[in-house]
Amino acid sequence: MDEYVMIACTALVLIGMTAAILHRNPFDKLISLSILIAGIFPFIVDRGYLDVAAATALIAPLSTIFILMVCRRETT
Amino acid sequence: MIAIYICAGIAVYAAIRVIGERNTMRKLPFLNVVSFAVTGIIALLLPHPITIAAAAAYFVGSTLESNAIASTWSGGIKKDG
Repeated sequence: MDEYVMIACTALVLIGMTAAILHRNPFDKLISLSILIAGIFPFIVDRGYLDVAAATALIAPLSTIFILMVCRRETT
Repeated sequence: MIAIYICAGIAVYAAIRVIGERNTMRKLPFLNVVSFAVTGIIALLLPHPITIAAAAAYFVGSTLESNAIASTWSGGIKKDG
């Protein structure tokens, strides 16, 4: 991996981490967690673990959907 | 080599825009932009035939995730009383 791409992906992880700490709304926290997971994926693919990357890409949205069931917005 | 740099730049710019927005609904299109850019990075990163399968799986998963967040935030279908 080129160092500029590595710096960009590290910046994605750090931006997602900082936003997940600072936000109060649970939906904003989930959006920040999505950015963090997006920054992790090029590091998994760069080592050649493509099956791990595909499995993680399909499992990570399931965990988000399970958290969304907990913090469902009250319908009026 | 310039294409992966452009994808990385778009990803970082869209992530900064996600942080800058105050409204939650306005964050979600930029989250989709981050997903598309990271899909481009994954597809261009490694010259291997299974890389496109990993990129397609990430594309499907991230789109599903952001659409689930958007539909839960909007509250679903309102029942007529």
